[in-house]
Amino acid sequence: MWSFYFHELMRSLPFFLKGLWMTVAVAGLGLIAATIIGFILGIVRAGRNKILRSIIGVWVDLIRGTPFLVQVFIVFFILPSAGIELEAFPAAVIALSNMGASFICEIVASGILSVPKGQREAATASGLSNYQQLRYIILPQAMRSIIPPLVGQYVLIIKDSSVVSAIGVVDVTRVGWLTVQRIPEGLMVFGLVGILYFAICYPLINLSNYMERRMTVTATRL
Amino acid sequence: MLEAFNFRVILEYMPLYLQCFLATLWLSVLSLIGAILVGIIACAMRLSQSRALSRAGAVYIESIRSTPLLVQLYFFYFGLPSLGVMLPEWITGVIALTLNSGAYYAEIIRAGIQAIAYGQIEAGIASGLNYFQRMRYIILPQALGMTIRPMLGQAIVLVKDSSLLSLISIMELTRAGQLLTSDRFMPTEGFLTTAAFYLLLYYLLKTFSGWSEKRLIFREAH
Amino acid sequence: MISFKNVNKWFGDLHVLKDINLEVSHGEVVVVCGPSGSGKSTLIRCINRLEPIQKGELVVDNMNVHDKKINMTKIRAEIGFIFQSFNLYPHMTALGNVTIAPIRVRKMSKEEAEKIAKKALVRVGLGDRINHYPAQLSGGQQQRVAIARGLGMKPKIMLFDEPTSALDPEMINEVLDVMRDLAKEGMTMMVVTHEMGFAREVASRVVFMDDGQIIEVAPPNDFFTNPQSERGKHFLSSILTH
Repeated sequence: MWSFYFHELMRSLPFFLKGLWMTVAVAGLGLIAATIIGFILGIVRAGRNKILRSIIGVWVDLIRGTPFLVQVFIVFFILPSAGIELEAFPAAVIALSNMGASFICEIVASGILSVPKGQREAATASGLSNYQQLRYIILPQAMRSIIPPLVGQYVLIIKDSSVVSAIGVVDVTRVGWLTVQRIPEGLMVFGLVGILYFAICYPLINLSNYMERRMTVTATRL
Repeated sequence: MLEAFNFRVILEYMPLYLQCFLATLWLSVLSLIGAILVGIIACAMRLSQSRALSRAGAVYIESIRSTPLLVQLYFFYFGLPSLGVMLPEWITGVIALTLNSGAYYAEIIRAGIQAIAYGQIEAGIASGLNYFQRMRYIILPQALGMTIRPMLGQAIVLVKDSSLLSLISIMELTRAGQLLTSDRFMPTEGFLTTAAFYLLLYYLLKTFSGWSEKRLIFREAH
Repeated sequence: MISFKNVNKWFGDLHVLKDINLEVSHGEVVVVCGPSGSGKSTLIRCINRLEPIQKGELVVDNMNVHDKKINMTKIRAEIGFIFQSFNLYPHMTALGNVTIAPIRVRKMSKEEAEKIAKKALVRVGLGDRINHYPAQLSGGQQQRVAIARGLGMKPKIMLFDEPTSALDPEMINEVLDVMRDLAKEGMTMMVVTHEMGFAREVASRVVFMDDGQIIEVAPPNDFFTNPQSERGKHFLSSILTH
């Protein structure tokens, strides 16, 4: 029996690879959008405008205080009643980008704030504008403390993308869920799904740790 | 959207929501206790002198961290029956949550222990304290102070993770929202109420985290 | 060149600059000294509006520095500021540190800026280190790069906020030598420092401050040998005994 199911599973491999591709697509788009939005908001969050900082802070808190699954349902089910009809894939990308952006915003803001105050003063004293300061002096130095947690956040986004299978997106998790209906060997089916996620996430986690070690060593030498 | 917000329906479903709120609480607390125990054991394995135990611990932790919780949940939900193990859904859910957060707790505890300067231990050895005394008076008190914040952070994550249990038909907060959506076509009322309850738990935990950090933290003497 | 008229500053409730009146003319070297907390650093930080003032008028090169509408970029381009903790940009070479402002603020071309930068770095004695990063330089060398960075903008005024206080003793002289040369070439300078030897050699006037006020202003020899104020006497006796 077991070997029969295994054989069936191997025959379904193309289906799994299609699902994997969908996972990459959803997570990839979500990741890119989250990075762009997150950086912009993070720069504002580290700036001087108190009102904007508070508004962003409230938004970050709302996202951190609610489960991602609930956020996905809100985007998918509630936005239509506000007039925005969405299919599963766009809703998934929007929810993922929204969540990712809030975390990236905090990572970027704390990276910027960790640059020593004297750097900003030296740049101001030589007449550089706020934009020039950010671009040439502050951000380059902030990137050192932003990149390792940023990569870590990418891993979280990839893992959280599995949740969008709940609204019907046919990612690799959903493929597993559909497959297990006809190949009732949960261990095998989801073992395979797990291995596929592992193949992507494990190297990225190690990359993040490696970069964290390298960045800290160089910083202490300075 | 908000003008048509139907408070009457929410009131009508409030008993259900309160029941589900308690369910979420109950599931989370159970999993939390289990996760801390699993975390301590896994951490001890990881830090042990035995190569086999250390390896086993590492394999467990890395597998959990590189795969999504939903996949782990489905792995147990669909996999255990194929081994002949028939469990009520909620126990399967608690097992998945426990094993998942357990890995993260193992890392938190490990980081806390390794962060204690070796000089402290040397001082302990030099003054004649044995292993257990050093643990009790020097290492654990400091580790406790340092890990309270990340441990409560993981507890918040666990509460949010419990929302995934709704996908294996467990009656908790997120499921309540799903019911309001499928029974009464009111996703807005349904999921916003769900979100509100989660936010309540989030702020309670955050406040507790701030309070306990102030009272319990053992600062390093410089 | 620099003119303080009844300048007052508060940090919250703390009154840190009290009715400051001072004129610094072109080519003058003014040394500001005084005990900790006297407000001397705050005084020069107001000149390029690193700190704002609440009352009074500060005019630099005929421009009112604390006027809300004024273009600070223009003023700051004419003022070189040297910090106690150097504040060099760690991710740029010495050359990069010196050229960034001329390129971005004065809109020079890269070639032009690099020419001027190389001259400035040679002038401070670091012609062979232009491609080094701050982490590869000693404290004294870093501070000299900071001075070259100020010079790269060809400023009219140079301000020094305790430039040698963070240096190991053996490196203080290399920085003071550069400052001495600048003074001799006629640069308008205001220097907050405890280095009395330097003050005696190049300063035209010494401004003694205590508790936010200017207590005494006199040529260095007069001040050091015969201070008029009680607080001045007390200050000198406490620093000259070691």
